[in-house]
Amino acid sequence: MVQSIQIFDPIKTKKTAKRNRAIFVSLCIFPSLLFLVMFMYYPIVETFRLSFMKSSGLGQDRFIGLDNYRKLFVSEEFRAGLVHVLTWAFWSIVIQLPLAFFIAFSLTFYVNRVSKPMRAIYYMANIMPSAITAMLGKFVFSPNNGILNNLGNQFGWDWLSNMDFLGSERLAFWSVFAVATWAYTGFPIIYLMARIEQMPKEFKEAAELDGVTGWKYAWYILLPNLVYPLRILAVLCTIGSLKLFDLPYMMTTGGPGHATVTLGISLYRQGFINWQYGRASAIGVIIFLLSLIFTIIQFSGKKEAA
Amino acid sequence: MKKFTLVCLALVLVPLMAFAQGQSDTAAKESGPVTLTIWGRDIPDTAADHIYVHDLIEGFQKANPDIKLEYIPLGDPGLADKTKITMAAGVDQLPEIVQSWGGSVMGGYADAGRLLDLTSELASIPGSKAASDAMSWKGKTYGVAPFFAVAGIFLNEDIFARNGLKAPTTIVEMEAVCDTLLAKGIQPFACGAKDKWPALAMYMYLVNRYGGNAFDRAQARTLSFADDAFVNAAKTYQMWVKKGYFGTKPLGEAYGDAQQQMAIGKAAMMVTGSWMCSQFSNKEFTDQKIGFYAFPVVTGGVGKVTDVMGMTDIGFFATKNAEAKKDAVVRFFKYAMSVEACASEPGRICAVPGVPAKAELTGMASKVFAASQSVQFWWDQDLPPAVTSPLNDTIQSFFLPSSDVASSLKAFEELVIDEMGPVKK
Amino acid sequence: MRTGFKLHRAHYGWIEVFITIILVLFALTVIVPMCLPLLFVFKTQLEYSYDPWSLPKHITVKNFLEAWDAIKIGEGLANTLLVSLGVVVLAVPCAALAGYVFARYHSKVTEVLFYAILVCYFIPIQMVLIPLYKFNIKLGLSNTLLGLILPMAAFNIPFWVLIYRSFFHTLPKDLGDAACIDGAGHATTFFRIMLPLASPATTLALLLIFIAAWSDYFLSLIMLNDQKLFTMQLRVSQFLNAYGVDRMPRYAAAAIISMSPTVILYIIGHKWVIKGTLAGALKE
Repeated sequence: MVQSIQIFDPIKTKKTAKRNRAIFVSLCIFPSLLFLVMFMYYPIVETFRLSFMKSSGLGQDRFIGLDNYRKLFVSEEFRAGLVHVLTWAFWSIVIQLPLAFFIAFSLTFYVNRVSKPMRAIYYMANIMPSAITAMLGKFVFSPNNGILNNLGNQFGWDWLSNMDFLGSERLAFWSVFAVATWAYTGFPIIYLMARIEQMPKEFKEAAELDGVTGWKYAWYILLPNLVYPLRILAVLCTIGSLKLFDLPYMMTTGGPGHATVTLGISLYRQGFINWQYGRASAIGVIIFLLSLIFTIIQFSGKKEAA
Repeated sequence: MKKFTLVCLALVLVPLMAFAQGQSDTAAKESGPVTLTIWGRDIPDTAADHIYVHDLIEGFQKANPDIKLEYIPLGDPGLADKTKITMAAGVDQLPEIVQSWGGSVMGGYADAGRLLDLTSELASIPGSKAASDAMSWKGKTYGVAPFFAVAGIFLNEDIFARNGLKAPTTIVEMEAVCDTLLAKGIQPFACGAKDKWPALAMYMYLVNRYGGNAFDRAQARTLSFADDAFVNAAKTYQMWVKKGYFGTKPLGEAYGDAQQQMAIGKAAMMVTGSWMCSQFSNKEFTDQKIGFYAFPVVTGGVGKVTDVMGMTDIGFFATKNAEAKKDAVVRFFKYAMSVEACASEPGRICAVPGVPAKAELTGMASKVFAASQSVQFWWDQDLPPAVTSPLNDTIQSFFLPSSDVASSLKAFEELVIDEMGPVKK
Repeated sequence: MRTGFKLHRAHYGWIEVFITIILVLFALTVIVPMCLPLLFVFKTQLEYSYDPWSLPKHITVKNFLEAWDAIKIGEGLANTLLVSLGVVVLAVPCAALAGYVFARYHSKVTEVLFYAILVCYFIPIQMVLIPLYKFNIKLGLSNTLLGLILPMAAFNIPFWVLIYRSFFHTLPKDLGDAACIDGAGHATTFFRIMLPLASPATTLALLLIFIAAWSDYFLSLIMLNDQKLFTMQLRVSQFLNAYGVDRMPRYAAAAIISMSPTVILYIIGHKWVIKGTLAGALKE
């Protein structure tokens, strides 16, 4: 295509430019916003509204003000769920992010005949639906047929075969957490890999000239530049932990007792099993507000990477 | 540019195709014979567990060529979830018939006006009273329950014979049996406490045997759930767990694990519902010989051996959406409750008189049911939904070695007070 | 294309071997669980109950046949494909456009709108189901595939707007200016320069949204009433729930059947996926 040089009137162009810019911006945002306003805003508003009601979900709602919230904060299940998701969020950030960085960097740095296909494999980590992950998780930790207990039996390691991974209050949380880490680390790995690959060439060239070796390079140059992506991953980890439902529910239904209950499980239980839809909505609101707070904390007061 | 046009094309075509397909399907449904949509739990194939439904659908359509059945299997959490959400949105999207366990969940839908009252039409169908009570709420009947399940003890006859044990008829005998089994390194009870609800079966019986109709009174709010009847039963339960009657890892054992333990002879007894009869008599599932017995009594206690805990095994109710097709629905229910349809079911206890039990194990279970004089509906189907999962949580807590059963029950009572009102003096 | 970079690796050799081994181990933890069902699927239920770990004594394909029969792959596959493609085709462009604008056209208004979009990610899906279902009915979309595709696309958008925004952020600011001088308009800059540079994000989005839409269960269960419209994952779940997790061999068969299309598609397309995530770095 031939670009012609146009002669224009500076003031009019500025106005047109501004208008064009505004139109472009609106056009770009409009489709997403439309989708969300149509399909998510009404549910979100409903959730807030119902959190102040006693509702069975079948109609006949009754306004009860903050009663749902009050009852929640007194409820042992809710408090346990809250503690669990916050602990979960903390530990997933602490474990998944460094692990993901380690793997992502190694895969991009140590390029040899073995690690190249590894890359392709790591992308598959997200393929399993959560129902199947839960089943396999149950299988690994199952008391009679499970891998770990069986291993203990084979080698005569009584300490291993006596561990009740899913039934002991102390261990259940960590067993489910282990399975979740396995399932959810996939995305951080491939995201970081993509970000590392995207690093401008100058970084590498400059480092090369300075004779910076591999892991020093990772520590002093890559990491500071990956702060922003890592922050995003931290936000995603946190929100994911706050919403967590599938894995703990399918592996232990929140048990034994309240040992693996999460806010998500409480929500499902209250809404779909106990028919306390108002209380479930209150939990939903709390999840929402906590996510909002965390996101604002992470995203405020930082300079975007230029 | 080419990629861009392709993308735009896809953006337009895909939704159009999807929309068109959806429309054509709904159009096809409206013409033709009367169609009844049924939401069920199991896949209608010829596996032992599912053959009743399979034969029911085929048999009914053969006998009634003017009615077409569209049966959609949704599985266990799927059916409940989808029903709940569709009910929440009103009556229009509901199918005509939904498979259900009746009880308080069905009652909730009835109270919200979503169900079709068929009391007069179904009154003439012969069947056990317990079964039709299960599908009724506040005096009106909304469906039928061709199969009814009762809770009892499944026990491994081979293990018992090998160790010179007899099926226990009193609690003291049962404890002795457990001690013997423990000494031989066999797990006395398989329970499945990890899934919470399986532990309820034994507890219901313990409360009944020690406290008689304590549950009825607690439900009617003339007794507290923290009363001695409940606490003592809980203490016994907890003591048994501590003794090791439920194995070394009772809380790690899921319901499926428990079934497996029974199936391979690693556990000797299992207190659960008679729906397991078809599995436990299926040669592909287990090679052990398993029998079914009524739960033992306490010598000199209140509960009788003829007090049984039961619930619907297979039941159906009709939704308000079926009003226009009432006749077809009634015909379907009548057929579902017929001897002809029920004859193919190998494992479940039939609530219809005159249907012979196909397996020996089922025969034993049917005998227990036939001998019963008072049937208490399974608690977590009887109490309002708001307290059922806290109930199961409370009972699972008895399995925790450190928990104080009295305070767990007290906490549960407080929840019940919230939902159902305080105890009336 | 050469990936990675050669910096002075003073301890070349030992550390590399060591780390490669670790990478392989981690990769095994990804693959082995996926292969576990294969161990069970050829056994009978009884054989599995007695001894889950040994190799099957006789190979039974009964489980496979039952699962295959019950799942009726043909119909389900077409539906799932339609849904997954539909969701991808709708969600990816929306997210890319919005992410781009939020990254490069910064203003107070766009910040607010960004949060307006992001907050939709904070709400758990169970909360959304009943109002969404009612809304779908009002739109006349209940029990149609479109009624499934649209909300699913809406669910994926906030997450990917965030990711796209992060990718566009790292592109140098002067890139846009250079294009401007050449007289390129906003749209041209985006399509010709920015979007190709963000191809890692696009590749990830295409891959992951497709997989998510493929394995979706809950939303499909609620929105679809007609057996004819059921997606493959839904049918697999019907089969699984009918037998319960307790029947591991059958469960394994269903699991294998449910994962196979995605795995096969991935094996076919993996080179393209990897190329896609690298392409951005090589352009300048």
